[in-house]
Amino acid sequence: MTTVDPQSLDNTYDDASQRTPLVLGGLDYEGVTDTACGFWEADSAPKIWWILLGLAISLLMLLGGLIQHLLFAGVGVWGNNNPAYWGWPIVNFVFWVGIGHAGTLISAILFLFRQNWRTSINRAAEAMTIFAVVCAGTFPGIHIGRVWVFYWLFPIPTEHLAMWPNFRSPLLWDVFAVSTYATVSLLFWYMGMVPDIATFRDRTKSKIGKIIYGLLSLGWTGSARNWHRYEIAYTLLAALATPLVLSVHTIVSFDFAVSQVPGWHTTIFPPYFVAGAIFSGFAMVVTLLVPARELFGLQKLITLRHLENMNKIIMATGLMVGTAYGIEFFIAWYSGVPWEAFAFWNRAFGNYWWAYWIMVSCNVMIPQLFWFKWCRTTPWFMVIVCIFVNIGMWFERFVITITSLCRDFVPSSWAYFTPTWVDLGMLIGSFGLFFTLFLLFCRFMPVIAMAEVKGIMPRDDH
Amino acid sequence: MAEKSNNESKEQELVGLLAQFDDPETLVHACNEARAAGYTKMDAYSPFPVHGIDPAIGIKRSILPFIVLSVALGAVVLGLGIQLYANGQDTFWPFPGYKFLISGKPIFSIPANIPVTFEIIVLSSAFATFFGMWILNKLPRFSNPLHRVSRFKRVTNDKFFLMLETADEKFSRSVSEGQLNDWGAVAIDEVNQDLTDTELPKWLATVGILGAIMLMLPPAAIFSQWGMTNRLPRLHVVPDMDWQHKSKTQTMAANLSNELDGVSLMYEDLRSARRPVDGAIAFGSLDIDSELSYGIKSDFAYTITSGGNALTRAEDTDKADKKEEKEEKDGDAVAPAEEDNLEKYVTTLPEGFQLTEEILDRGQQRFEIYCAACHGYAGAGNGLVNQRAMSLAATGAATWTSARSLHEADVKDDAKNPVGRIYDTITNGRGNMGPYKAQIPVQDRWAIVAYVKALQETGIQSDVPVAADDDAEENQEQNQEADEKQEL
Repeated sequence: MTTVDPQSLDNTYDDASQRTPLVLGGLDYEGVTDTACGFWEADSAPKIWWILLGLAISLLMLLGGLIQHLLFAGVGVWGNNNPAYWGWPIVNFVFWVGIGHAGTLISAILFLFRQNWRTSINRAAEAMTIFAVVCAGTFPGIHIGRVWVFYWLFPIPTEHLAMWPNFRSPLLWDVFAVSTYATVSLLFWYMGMVPDIATFRDRTKSKIGKIIYGLLSLGWTGSARNWHRYEIAYTLLAALATPLVLSVHTIVSFDFAVSQVPGWHTTIFPPYFVAGAIFSGFAMVVTLLVPARELFGLQKLITLRHLENMNKIIMATGLMVGTAYGIEFFIAWYSGVPWEAFAFWNRAFGNYWWAYWIMVSCNVMIPQLFWFKWCRTTPWFMVIVCIFVNIGMWFERFVITITSLCRDFVPSSWAYFTPTWVDLGMLIGSFGLFFTLFLLFCRFMPVIAMAEVKGIMPRDDH
Repeated sequence: MAEKSNNESKEQELVGLLAQFDDPETLVHACNEARAAGYTKMDAYSPFPVHGIDPAIGIKRSILPFIVLSVALGAVVLGLGIQLYANGQDTFWPFPGYKFLISGKPIFSIPANIPVTFEIIVLSSAFATFFGMWILNKLPRFSNPLHRVSRFKRVTNDKFFLMLETADEKFSRSVSEGQLNDWGAVAIDEVNQDLTDTELPKWLATVGILGAIMLMLPPAAIFSQWGMTNRLPRLHVVPDMDWQHKSKTQTMAANLSNELDGVSLMYEDLRSARRPVDGAIAFGSLDIDSELSYGIKSDFAYTITSGGNALTRAEDTDKADKKEEKEEKDGDAVAPAEEDNLEKYVTTLPEGFQLTEEILDRGQQRFEIYCAACHGYAGAGNGLVNQRAMSLAATGAATWTSARSLHEADVKDDAKNPVGRIYDTITNGRGNMGPYKAQIPVQDRWAIVAYVKALQETGIQSDVPVAADDDAEENQEQNQEADEKQEL
């Protein structure tokens, strides 16, 4: 039937005479459903899942305990100092919100470009987006100091203070951007899931499952009239989410770029941040999906071709990020502004030189391995590269935030930032939050967008 | 049909015939046939959107995009409006906005307000899309006769269905079933609406209304407080930051006083604010002219510029402060006890102070404000406070050291009491007398010193002005004028 053998799980070779199949192993519609539901339908989860969940929950408890410690003791438990007021909380915020960009990019932008290969991975990527945004939102949330008046972030009339947020501040734009992004991503994710939750509703054998999935599926029947409006709504949401996903990290970059600090005050930040966000987001998707497809037996749906495509995007965005690093230095020299030049010289050769070179090696040099086909089609190897990318992207935010702040306008206020154990614990703990949510999602929610995968399968002509 | 036999005892109504197909092509084919046969009330069901099904069953394009467009246009107004309201005015009752003045930038400018407007547009449009879609689809709908057909469970898996509804004019139980079979149906089910459980329970409305009223009570109670008089402070619904866990100026905050164990909250002496570091100079109090500021010759100066390290000098000052404190504690300590070094005091008015007649008048005026209460108007040590305190002391009701007469020989003696020492006495106090440096500026202190010297020269010890003395009257008039000027 095809020159690419559907039984072999390698579909990374192109054959000009036909479309490369994205569902392997000769699965039909029911086969897709059975495969995608396999892990969810299993009576008990494998031991490794329990071990991972236990680990994730203990890290989550670490985060919870540290947040409680922070609330009772105050922000002094962090290493934040004068002038590095932002410290790790903001580094972690930008790191997580960047990771949260891949999901909507896969869902929305690849949908608008009719990239069919998105269908197997978009659900997990969207879930990852939501959970990463949850982690991201936590950090500025606790960084505001007086957490109990967090509602002052929003334009809500107060009882007797004529007090409003300043709508010309990038930090307020950030509140709107991130909360809008979280909300729209959640709607997009949930709406995409409803037909698949209906599948769960129709397949579940437990009574509680029937009630919960029954409520969540909203009585979905798969009616053609419903599908008609559903598809229009999905396209509209994709069209709305596309500028949104670009705007969010643009506005996050405004937090830096609109200020006057040398090293921050640059117009390159918005595109540079967006490229970095996609870069780190895809790296996280690969990091998650390679083990997940092994663990949940999804190799026929999340194929090597999917992974290879993502690795190509990682390489492309990695080059964009690398170009941005270079352009920053060029502009620092070309502008003729000595302070700007100093800020960048200091990044590479100042007292945070090690952070800068970790960033450059992880983000620019290591992804170049993906030029080799073996590197980008070998699952265990790509995970290692992607973990390096994630480390590099965390250091990118560290370099931008900390080195610039520690060498601000007046030499008398310069200082060196040293994190405390609370900083470190919160960063690790945020991974606990992320993985707890992700592992629960994998067990109880449809990991594969079954309806969408079925929609792109080639039809058999009887 | 299992479903049917289960429900036989109940009242049922046939709503349609549900035909199952095995693949999307047959479904589209059957839909086309049904449409050709004149059916209009039908719907197809599939696990994923099937291409070509919309024209096959005659679905018109949804109006959803226009709903979203209108919401988005409304959101432009909403987004800009929120920002204009919150930052562009401060007048509207009851929640006035707040105009931020930042670097002289305009209060309201479109470019700075674009990001938030954009986010509000996207958010509103996404809500319109999401909720609009479900509302147009008449979902959620949890009770649907279709879900009672067991075969229909595979619609979310791998099977395709077409339902012809009984409401259709063309529908006929037997004819329609035959047609469906002709079009390739694999199986056909009856879909029955159970009429017995379609009504809401009657108690639901009552409970709903009662619940709604209950929910209204708290806000009503809060709102009613706004118009009522009460001796107690109004109910604070949202405390914001009105009660804070902090120390306030000059007080030990009540919420801290029961935590005295946690001394880490406090600085020394339970102060709520830290003392300035050694050598810190308050803004505007740089005292480089020792003779003017302290009445002390520059060779003996405490000023930070008079040589050496600012911090060691500050330590000297600290020692002096401590000594002073000790003396205050001793209370009745007599001034001459610390007459160690009279040489350090300046013996003439310092260069930074220019004495004129007006300044001398001002010195008199200041003297009568600050000094006369104890020392008396003529400096004889018989001010009203002193008289009263002495009479109390005589009965043992108080302890008091009499204010000294400025006309005593010791006080008048330039060698024993040079002008620098008088100035120092006013500045830092002496014996029972408290320091006046906080109340009286440097120039006024020197004016008082000059007036004291003048007073001593006259030798007049009586408070009562001599009637015949024209000069005195004149002086008084001038004083009044000076007072008026001062008040102005």
